[in-house]
Amino acid sequence: MSVKIDKVLVSILQRRLKSITEEMSIALARTTRSPILCEAKDFVTGLYDAKGRMLEQCENLPILAFSLGPVCQYIVDYFGDEIYEGDVIFHNDVFSLGNQNNDVAAFKPIFFEGELVAWAACKGHQADIGGAVRGGYNPEATEVWQEALRIPPVKVYEKGKLRKDVWNLIFANIRLDIVAEDMRAEIGSCVVGERGILKLLERYGREAFEAHKEYLFDSTEKMMRAEIRSIPNGVYHGEANAYYDGRNPGSVHTIRVKITVEDEHITFDYTGTDPQTEGFVNGTYTSSASATLLTFLQMVNPDIPHNDGMIRPIDIIIPEGTILNAAYPAATTYGNHLCPNNADAIMRALSPVIPDRVTAEWNELLCALTTGIDPRKGIPYVDIGFMGLKGGSGAIKGVDGYDHIGMIDASGGVLDQDYEMFEQQTPHLLLKHEYWTDSAGPGRWRGGLGVITEYIIGSDDTQVVTFGDGDVEPARGVHGGGDGTLNTIWLRYPDGTKYQCTTKDLVRGVPKGTLYHQEAGGGGGYGDPKLRPAEKVALEVKNEIISREAAREIYGVALRDDFSVDEEETARLRGLA
Amino acid sequence: MKYKIGIDVGGTFTDFLLAAEDGSSEIYKVLSTPEDPSIGTMRGIAEMAERHGLTLEDFLARVTTIVHGTTVTTNAVLTMRGATTGLITTQGVRDALEMRRGIREEQYNNRYTNVEPVVPRYLRRPVRGRLDYAGQEIEPLNLDDVRAACELFRKEGVEAVAICFMNSFANPEHEEAAARLVAELMPEAYLSVSTRVLPSIRFYDRVSTTCLNAYVGPILRRYLQSLVKKLDAANYRGVLLIMQSNGGVTTPDNAIANAATTLLSGPAGGPVAGIAYGEVQNQRDLITVDMGGTSFDAALVKDGEPLVTTEGEIDRRRIALPMLNVVTIGAGGGSIGWIDEGGLLRMGPQSAGSSPGPACYGLGGELPTCTDADLILGYLSPEFFAGGRMPLYPDKAREAIKRHVAGPLGYSVEEAAAGMYRVINVNMAAAVREVSVAQGVDPRDFPLVVAGGAGPNHACMIALELEIPLLLVPRESSIFCAAGMLMSDLQHDFVRTYPCLLQDVDLKRFRALVAEMRDEGLKLLRAEGIPPERVRVVYSLDLRYLRQYHEVNVEVSAEEIERGDLEAMAARFHPEHNRLFGYELSDVGTPVELINIRVKTIGITDKPRFAPEPYFGADPSSAKKGERPAYVPAADEFQTVPVYDGALLKHGMRIQGPAIIEQVNTSTFVTPEYHLVVDRYGTMTIYLPVKEDEVLRRIGK
Repeated sequence: MSVKIDKVLVSILQRRLKSITEEMSIALARTTRSPILCEAKDFVTGLYDAKGRMLEQCENLPILAFSLGPVCQYIVDYFGDEIYEGDVIFHNDVFSLGNQNNDVAAFKPIFFEGELVAWAACKGHQADIGGAVRGGYNPEATEVWQEALRIPPVKVYEKGKLRKDVWNLIFANIRLDIVAEDMRAEIGSCVVGERGILKLLERYGREAFEAHKEYLFDSTEKMMRAEIRSIPNGVYHGEANAYYDGRNPGSVHTIRVKITVEDEHITFDYTGTDPQTEGFVNGTYTSSASATLLTFLQMVNPDIPHNDGMIRPIDIIIPEGTILNAAYPAATTYGNHLCPNNADAIMRALSPVIPDRVTAEWNELLCALTTGIDPRKGIPYVDIGFMGLKGGSGAIKGVDGYDHIGMIDASGGVLDQDYEMFEQQTPHLLLKHEYWTDSAGPGRWRGGLGVITEYIIGSDDTQVVTFGDGDVEPARGVHGGGDGTLNTIWLRYPDGTKYQCTTKDLVRGVPKGTLYHQEAGGGGGYGDPKLRPAEKVALEVKNEIISREAAREIYGVALRDDFSVDEEETARLRGLA
Repeated sequence: MKYKIGIDVGGTFTDFLLAAEDGSSEIYKVLSTPEDPSIGTMRGIAEMAERHGLTLEDFLARVTTIVHGTTVTTNAVLTMRGATTGLITTQGVRDALEMRRGIREEQYNNRYTNVEPVVPRYLRRPVRGRLDYAGQEIEPLNLDDVRAACELFRKEGVEAVAICFMNSFANPEHEEAAARLVAELMPEAYLSVSTRVLPSIRFYDRVSTTCLNAYVGPILRRYLQSLVKKLDAANYRGVLLIMQSNGGVTTPDNAIANAATTLLSGPAGGPVAGIAYGEVQNQRDLITVDMGGTSFDAALVKDGEPLVTTEGEIDRRRIALPMLNVVTIGAGGGSIGWIDEGGLLRMGPQSAGSSPGPACYGLGGELPTCTDADLILGYLSPEFFAGGRMPLYPDKAREAIKRHVAGPLGYSVEEAAAGMYRVINVNMAAAVREVSVAQGVDPRDFPLVVAGGAGPNHACMIALELEIPLLLVPRESSIFCAAGMLMSDLQHDFVRTYPCLLQDVDLKRFRALVAEMRDEGLKLLRAEGIPPERVRVVYSLDLRYLRQYHEVNVEVSAEEIERGDLEAMAARFHPEHNRLFGYELSDVGTPVELINIRVKTIGITDKPRFAPEPYFGADPSSAKKGERPAYVPAADEFQTVPVYDGALLKHGMRIQGPAIIEQVNTSTFVTPEYHLVVDRYGTMTIYLPVKEDEVLRRIGK
């Protein structure tokens, strides 16, 4: 193409694409029903070029984000020349590059002057997707059909016409009717994206759009290459364990990564990672590669635009048959949640190499999904306990960890339910949702705080499904910093008996009046806690997020009754006197 | 002669509009005095008195109304210098304020920290006592816990106490009981009770708003008492009104009681002024934009009403009170141009501010700013900036652009400046899109009303980017918000939560809630001296489809409420949902759910009347002051462009772009796509030729 590149127009194009994906995101958040979508924003919106290459994304939950592009490319090949204006294609299939069964995507091809020019797409975690268990998380599953309805690319609209038979087939296999409404909202969001792209094309023309897009990709690639160049060349190894596959108590599964930095190129090679499990604790290539990317993106300039150019200098090798890339027809619903373990492996490899840019470890996800019938209204409810699962992030040189941020795969993009809306939308009564004293890994920069959550379950025959990790190994501190606390979930039934949940549990028939108790741990600390300013520790003791004992024993800070620092004793404790 | 004064206290300048009863008006600007803004305010008033040859007392004796927008509360939050505040809240949830629902806005930035809470944890005191989701008591309020909290607060020097309990929106009794006890034990403390401030559902929204209210309450009280004292000392007998974030005004006493309603008091004047200037030409749908030194504000006005949000934030802290939906981005005259690692040009959000300021100010700034680009492109005159009181140095601008933008891009200085101009315009257009497209509104149908010192030079390009055919640049554009304050009505907003399927609403309870709010509003307006014939009441509902999470606010009529016509109310909801989100479900039969009932009571104030000018004629040659080369974006080259003196423009004069209009505090660049005509109040009306007939008809003779 012989278009003269206007470098300013490239900046303009990037800004425009970003704002279109943001508009798509607003539309989706505002119209969906499931609190997982409208409140927690467990979805992503994006634009892709005609070949399915990423133009820009709005990543509320990064773990979903990097699977839309590959699926888009798959769809382009799959339908070939049978892609028409007015089509809408659904997809969730993890064996054709989906990341998780419950994350169902809508793709809409965008045509300009009769030609396919781009795609608008979004993907959100749907409240139910069929399979054996309400809500989708089935720790007893050993193959995909026990988990979900598989949706390989399928047209629900063709040439603008709804394919009623296909639509009904899909939603006849899903328990909750809000899922159909929420998929309608996904289509609405794609329409918003389509309108935005068309305006852009009307304004600048197809040729200029294409040429400037390529230039944008190249410029972004250049930024990423510059970032990689700033990491010393070398081969770095890291490993981390995932605990319990949901079937064999005590099982341990090791993720091994070899990171090779060669000038402006980086490779993440997972050869040597343990084999896939027999249960649902398995990653798909896409969920695992997303985890790799989002972890690495936190170590580089956060301003790099998110498009195809960003990922060009990055290779990710994950052998099939491993826990990070399970072979057909494995159960994989848990796969997104191997992200924290994967992130740990990467951080352990790179922390000694770029200590200024790698955080201490983050609290791992441990989540519970409760479902039942709300006795006040007689209608079903589904709640993912977002507020309960959000522990602390790891500290980084110069900055404390972020309190109550949640797992690294969301990095603070998933929000707590509002307490009062929680009590409207579920029959539960919230007793406690507070920062957890002494949960943060101590350090010169401490980890983020974890939280304790308690509520009374308000429905009979309630089903509680747990999934996650972090009850064996805490978030580790680095460079002298201490570890965060462990995760746990237990129930106390009305008769007083206590049930300790495992990290992959399916508890049926939980009666009304049961106390639900959850602890989400803190993040790891960075650097020697005895170097933390004593005044800061004193204020944290006053605020009851560090205990007096911990201040004295771990931080070496002695306080008087009025929370002022006892300088003399502190100097002694810190070995300075 | 009687006068009204509009005062807008900004970060750098305090703006005044003095409106006389004969319709004449004068603009004043003095430097702001952030330590005690009332000093700058009184200084400006003294300057007016002096210019009119009167003593302060004699001058103030002729002033009937002063309307005052203030940034006192805004700055208290932005600089974390509010009152020492304590929170009494339900046991188990005291951290909601600080957690902010666990959000980290920059997901990939591990150095991004949470904002400091306005109440530290040791002053957030849990008390026992619990209501369920419907407001039924599960556990009685423990007054000993409240007492213990007060004891701690007294020891810690707490000046303001916020009270917010779980589910109090459904039953205020626990909060009221706690409030009585706090008032008794701490009579001096500023009290902020969630069900008085914002009795609506969503705990984080309510606790955040209530705490912000407490945090700024004593500050506003101190400031307004000091101002009132100074005005009293000068024998001022007129009315003093305070601008609120919702675009309405209120008395100092009400403002103090609901201090959080002033958190965005300053920018709220913009849309209100836009309405007044639009009205002259019978334009009731508008987008107002205000581009100053560091920030750019955009807001939407629809059918003569500014768009309101209840999801506002101040520095990442939620304020759920109704406020004008003003989108602010970091784009202004001081915005710095830079090249990112990928070699692409970016503008802002960093700003050189007023110190050191743009490179061309010659005050030590070395980085290239938007103002530097505007100067190189010929839109600003080196000799006539700030009316000639401040020389600009083109060489310094050139050097800065060359070193930081042109060099790295391999462009000439002029090309680089043109690039900076285009990029910042696109950034601002994105903000305009956010207030329009994101609200389901097509910006092409909305004339752009342009304000702020830097705004008029960029407005045509923003409008072109969005294909907006019509722009209004008021003569007072540089003190736009001060003008808006004089145009504001008294306004009080109320809300009650009543979660229920609309079809199942108990009409008796529904009407009782409406009446309760309306009566409270009427009482306030009566106390503010508004006669019944000047009162307007607006009713609306927050509705959603069953099990949706977010609501749509829909206005309903008094008659529909009287009739109990729930179907008519639902019928207003479906099309609004469709307009905003692209679909509706009336055909599917999904039930509609009520969440909140809202009442707005408005007391219509006397507005200043500006005197219309007689029709002069179309020929602008008497206003022409010369010509100079300026960059014309459409041609991508410099052309000789005529320059007009804005002070000499008269009603009916018509100018064809490209043209530059210079005024003392601002300068307007009309691109070749647009024409300009002056209306009878001196507003420059800039339009695409396709609109000519319509515009000339509206302007009249």
